[in-house]
Amino acid sequence: MSIDKTEELVLNMGPQHPSMHGLFRMIVHLEGETVTEIEPKIGYLHRGIEKLAESRTYTQFIPYTDRLDYLASPHNNWAYVQTVEKLMGVEIPERAEYLRVIFGELARIASHQVMIASTALDIAGWTAWGYAFRDRERILDMYEMTAGSRLTVNCMRIGGMSAEPPAEFWPALESFLDDTPEMLEEYYGIFFGNEIAQGRLKNVGIMPKELAENLSITGPVLRASGVQYDVRKAYPYSIYDRFDFDVPVRYGCDSYDRTIIRMDEIKESVKIIRQAIRDIPEGPIMAKVPKVIKPPVGEVYHRVENPKGELGFYIVSDGSTKPARVRIRPGTFVNLQMLPIVAKGWKIQDVVAIFATLDAVLGEVDK
Amino acid sequence: MENKELLKQRVEELAGRVNGEVEEILGTLILKVQAPYVTETLTAVKSFDDVPCDFLHDLAGLDLVDHLEVVYQLTSLNGPQHLRVKAIVDRENPVVDSVTRIWQGADYLEREAYDMFGIQFKGHPNLKRIYMWDDFEGYPLRKDYETEPIEIRNLVRQRIDGE
Repeated sequence: MSIDKTEELVLNMGPQHPSMHGLFRMIVHLEGETVTEIEPKIGYLHRGIEKLAESRTYTQFIPYTDRLDYLASPHNNWAYVQTVEKLMGVEIPERAEYLRVIFGELARIASHQVMIASTALDIAGWTAWGYAFRDRERILDMYEMTAGSRLTVNCMRIGGMSAEPPAEFWPALESFLDDTPEMLEEYYGIFFGNEIAQGRLKNVGIMPKELAENLSITGPVLRASGVQYDVRKAYPYSIYDRFDFDVPVRYGCDSYDRTIIRMDEIKESVKIIRQAIRDIPEGPIMAKVPKVIKPPVGEVYHRVENPKGELGFYIVSDGSTKPARVRIRPGTFVNLQMLPIVAKGWKIQDVVAIFATLDAVLGEVDK
Repeated sequence: MENKELLKQRVEELAGRVNGEVEEILGTLILKVQAPYVTETLTAVKSFDDVPCDFLHDLAGLDLVDHLEVVYQLTSLNGPQHLRVKAIVDRENPVVDSVTRIWQGADYLEREAYDMFGIQFKGHPNLKRIYMWDDFEGYPLRKDYETEPIEIRNLVRQRIDGE
C-alpha cells in the first residue's frame, strides 16, 4: 500500500537548544520526516548592544563586545578597538600588535575546538566533546593568567593591550602549541574518522558556491564551499601581511567539509602564533592616547576575520565622547540565512547537523 | 592604487546618471543617492567593468535626525575594491526598494533595519520584525525613541519583590 500524502506536521524546536549554541528556536514543517520549511526565530538573547553603545563612551563599550561572540571574545575586542583606532588615526606599538595576533589566533583555536565539540554533541558524540573541551581549558588558563577572566577576556584597549602576559604565559603557550598535532590527531580519530560521524555529515546540506556568494556567507562556511577568501589575506589588517600562512579551502560544500575545515584552520593558526612568538619585539604595549577618547567627525567601516565569519563594525562619530551610531555586522547572523534554504528536503536529524556546522553563537546573532 | 582610480572613475560616471554625490572619507568612496534610485544604482555597481562590487557585506539603517539612511557596504571576493552606497530615505515615509532580488543575503539585514528603524523595504518577501516581538511598538534605534527611565524599571522590580 502506498501513501500519497502525509499530513503536514509543525514541530517547534527550542528556544532551548539542547547544546551550547544559545537560545535559538526554529519552527520546522515536516512531511513525514522530511523538512518542507523552516522558520528560524531569533531575538531571545537580544540585549540591544547597538543602542547601549550610543549612551556609553568609546572606552566603556569595549566589555560589551565580549558579549557578542563569547567563545572568541578577544577577536571582538580587536575588531572594535581597531575600528576606533582607524577613526582616530592611532598607531599602536609593535609589541601590542603581536600580542593581539597571538590572542586573536588563540581565540580562533578555542572557538574551533568548541565548534568541533558542539557538532559532535549535536549528532550525539559525547566523547569527542570532552576531548575538545579539555584542550580548550588550556587556552582559557592562558587568558586568565593575562587578563584575569576566562570567557569575556576584555584584554584590549584603544591604543594597545590591557596587560603584559606574565612570565609563565610563554612556556604554557609553547607547550600548548607543541601538543596541538597530537590533539588534532585525537579529534580526527574520535570524531572525523568515525563512520557514524561521516555518515551523518558527508554529502548532507549541500551549499553550492553561487548560493553562498549570493547569500553573503563569510568565514569558514564560505571557504568550505570552494571560495578561497579570507580578509586576513585579501585585505590584510593589523600585521597579518607579515606572516606566512595558507587559507584552507575545501570543495565538498557539505556539512563534513564545513566541520573539518576548522581543523585545517587550527593548523594555520598554530603556524601564525609560532611566527609571532619568534618575531615579537620588546617595548611598550600601549600607545599614547588621550585620556578622553574623542574621535573626529567621520565614519568608518572595518571588518576582521572572526573565527565564525566576518565581523564588521561601522562607527559614525559626531565629534563627542559617545558614538552617534555603532553598527555591528555579525558573521553568523548573516550566515544563518542559509539554514532554511539548505536544510529544505533533508530529514529532521540532518537539520540539527546542518545548524551545528554553521557554528552559530546566539550572543552574536542576537546582539 | 590603479584599482581605486578605476573604481572612482566608474562611480563618478554612475553618479551622473543617478543624481548621486560622491565623497571620500578615510579612504572609502561613498556614493549618496536618493531612495528611488537604489535598485538602479546597486544593479550598476554589481556589474561594474573590471571592478565589480558584487558582494553585499552589510546593510544597515542610520538615523541622522532630519532623515534616515540605508547604508550598503559593498566589496568583492575577487579584488580589493570596496564602496559604500547610501540611500537617503524620508523620515516620515521611509520607503525604499528591497535589494533581495539582487542579493538574497539582504533578507535578514533588511528585516533588521525594518525592526530597528521602521524602514519599509518594498518587494521584500517576508518583512517582519526579527529581534523584537511582533506587537512591539516603536523603532528602538531611532534617535527619538525613548528608553524606559531606570527609576520606573526599579519601581516595577520593587513591586514584584514586595508581593
